[in-house]
Amino acid sequence: MQIHVDRTKCDNHGQCTFSAPTVFRLDEQGILQHEATADESLRHDVEEAADVCPAQAITITD
Amino acid sequence: MSTDVAVPYLDISDPSFAMHSEAVRGARAQHWFARTNYGVAILRHEYVSKLLKDPRLSQGSGKWPDHNGVHSGLFYDWWTQCLLVLEGDDHHRIRRLLNPASAPKHLEPFLPRFEALARELVEDIIDKGELEFVNDFAEPYATRVLCILLGIPESEWPTIARLASTIGLALGVTLKQDLGVVEDALEELYGYAENLIADRQANPGDDLVTTLVQANANGDSLSDSELRNALCLLIFGGMDTTRNQLGLGIMSYLRNLDQWELLAKHPELARNAVEEVMRTNPTTTWVTREAMVDFDYEDLHVTAGTTVHFFTQVSGTDPEAYPNPEIDITAERVPHYGFGGGMHHCLGHFVARADMAIALTALSERMTNLRISGKDEWLPDSGNTGPVRLPIGFDKR
Repeated sequence: MQIHVDRTKCDNHGQCTFSAPTVFRLDEQGILQHEATADESLRHDVEEAADVCPAQAITITD
Repeated sequence: MSTDVAVPYLDISDPSFAMHSEAVRGARAQHWFARTNYGVAILRHEYVSKLLKDPRLSQGSGKWPDHNGVHSGLFYDWWTQCLLVLEGDDHHRIRRLLNPASAPKHLEPFLPRFEALARELVEDIIDKGELEFVNDFAEPYATRVLCILLGIPESEWPTIARLASTIGLALGVTLKQDLGVVEDALEELYGYAENLIADRQANPGDDLVTTLVQANANGDSLSDSELRNALCLLIFGGMDTTRNQLGLGIMSYLRNLDQWELLAKHPELARNAVEEVMRTNPTTTWVTREAMVDFDYEDLHVTAGTTVHFFTQVSGTDPEAYPNPEIDITAERVPHYGFGGGMHHCLGHFVARADMAIALTALSERMTNLRISGKDEWLPDSGNTGPVRLPIGFDKR
């Protein structure tokens, strides 16, 4: 699964990091960093991260 | 605080202090932050955006009861355990379990019922040519939306409104003298929440309580007391804020009738109409954080324990971020911070955004030529503001 974050929407609130902490994290400057792909076993967590994003900035493609 | 430039000073406890004022706009033009009699205020959008999410700041409301002479008891225990004030792993765990229930895909099925409710309330007053906006629309709408979400009979809304408003007294500086009534209301709400939880555990439904009862993240779930605390927070945090924000919203459009007409013609702009209100006229006029450690940010030095206020309306109308800051429901804007931001970003924002868009649509499609038709009364322009009484005259559309 491929993960895309629309940087024009992402506002670095970090809610995604609660749902999928191994995929999304905030760096020391508070800027969101994320993996470009994730294992299928993480699908539920990554979809949840996309659902709860306040800016709705995360999309997932297979 | 080291200062090469003059740093403005704002007395935020002065009863005449107003966010929408030359003094505050002047301070924002002068510098990106101001000193206040109670901490530091961040005024400009660029800095609110950066610092609001800074991990060196905590939510800071945890000490509210202690600051007001309340150190134990039912309210103290609830407040110090609720999501609002939790930090670190405790916060992230609860937030993770609560977040999905308020996400758009869970809300979608409720939206037609919000629309029916908004239309019903508008039809009730449409032939009168006048309404008292708080009593006739904002309060029943905000409370009945909560009832719909939680699967509570809508006829019970006055009880929910009363309990939420009474617990809301806890946010005032008179907390200690109001503590008795606050705790009575909280105890009643606890009972209400506990019954709801027990019922949905036995009889799952299609409401948000059921979603929370069933919430599960890698085997972790909410305990009964965590569920109860969360439901009380949703009711307490969801009613007053939405009621007040709707009142501020109608007032914004009453002052911008061309935008109101535009919304009536283009209901697809309702989401933008809500964003513009949240940006320029938010109920939460400031969001507060507290420094956990000493740190420097450009020319600002804060010591651990310093209160940092983020002025949402002031940053939301900052001409550097919004060159034409007046309400324009067709404009594309950078994000505002009317719902706060970061780890503690408002949990209910998806619901609030959706239900307010529906309310503004229902009101604008039937009402035109809005005007103040009697004596209006307002909460102070600090903390969570909004109308107490707002008589509005209109022509039927």
